[in-house]
Amino acid sequence: MTLLTVIGRGVRVRGRIHGEGDLTIGGHVEGEIVLAGELTVDAGGLVGANVSARAIVVHGAVRGDLTGEEVVRLEEGARVVGDIRAPRIAIAKGALVRGLVQTGALSAAAAPRASTQTRAAPASHAKAAAPKPAPAAAPARVSRPTPAAVVKQAPLPAAPAPRAAPVAQKAVTNHGAPPVAARPVTPSVLAGAAPAATAQRPPPPVIPALKKGAKAALKKKAT
Amino acid sequence: MASTVIGAGITIEGEISADEELVVQGTIRGKLDAREGVTVEAGATVEADITSGPLTVAGTVTGNISSSDRVDLQAGARVIGNVKATRITIADGAQFKGNVDMDV
Repeated sequence: MTLLTVIGRGVRVRGRIHGEGDLTIGGHVEGEIVLAGELTVDAGGLVGANVSARAIVVHGAVRGDLTGEEVVRLEEGARVVGDIRAPRIAIAKGALVRGLVQTGALSAAAAPRASTQTRAAPASHAKAAAPKPAPAAAPARVSRPTPAAVVKQAPLPAAPAPRAAPVAQKAVTNHGAPPVAARPVTPSVLAGAAPAATAQRPPPPVIPALKKGAKAALKKKAT
Repeated sequence: MASTVIGAGITIEGEISADEELVVQGTIRGKLDAREGVTVEAGATVEADITSGPLTVAGTVTGNISSSDRVDLQAGARVIGNVKATRITIADGAQFKGNVDMDV
């Protein structure tokens, strides 16, 4: 009775793999892998799954998040698209990675959960985050009052004016955006920073500037 | 040694399709589709419909079996489900409940 599991080249698995012992993947696996032992993805192996294991060694391709309790090693020829978290992470020359890489003790359980939450409910986060940026991001503040002012002025002149105004506002906010948007790009290594990054992004100001029913009111006034 | 082994500690829930020899020592739930031989070793559990080449069972299989070749139920095997195969052997000591369908 070995605890060694091998999924060979000619094998395709769709579903969830979990258990203890070591697992070597040379074929295709789609789904989810939760392992108490060591996972090795061979050079020909293709994994489309979130992986959680004690140790993970990748020679092949993985699309999904890798969470190692001890170590994650990406060897030459590895291709990984997804976030990597482990106390120790090694990325060899010739390995390709796209995603967040975070070493250090897994503040463990907390970090991945947080990330899954952001993924599960990005909309709710955005809403929750929306009130915060006002004090934090100055440009957003600047751009906000102006549309409000424009809207107040708008009813006085003829109808075309308000139409032109929103475009101008968009331009203003777009100019204002880049410096703020640049912040998330700086390596926000901490997983906790991810929601914060979304919080710093300026909220879409144009839509709330025109109150619901404002356009209809304008039309009514015009007619 | 076969190139693919599902070890004793492992559980797979889902679909497996294999173009090579497969040895099961752990647990499989779902569906198992193999072109080559499949061995379900003692202690292994398969709750799945199995399509395979030659099949050897010493563990537990719950599900229908369809083999393009022979099916061996060894002593200690426990099979619940219908078996369709060209040849079949049931060893003394194997438990089996289901229909047998042999191409005649």
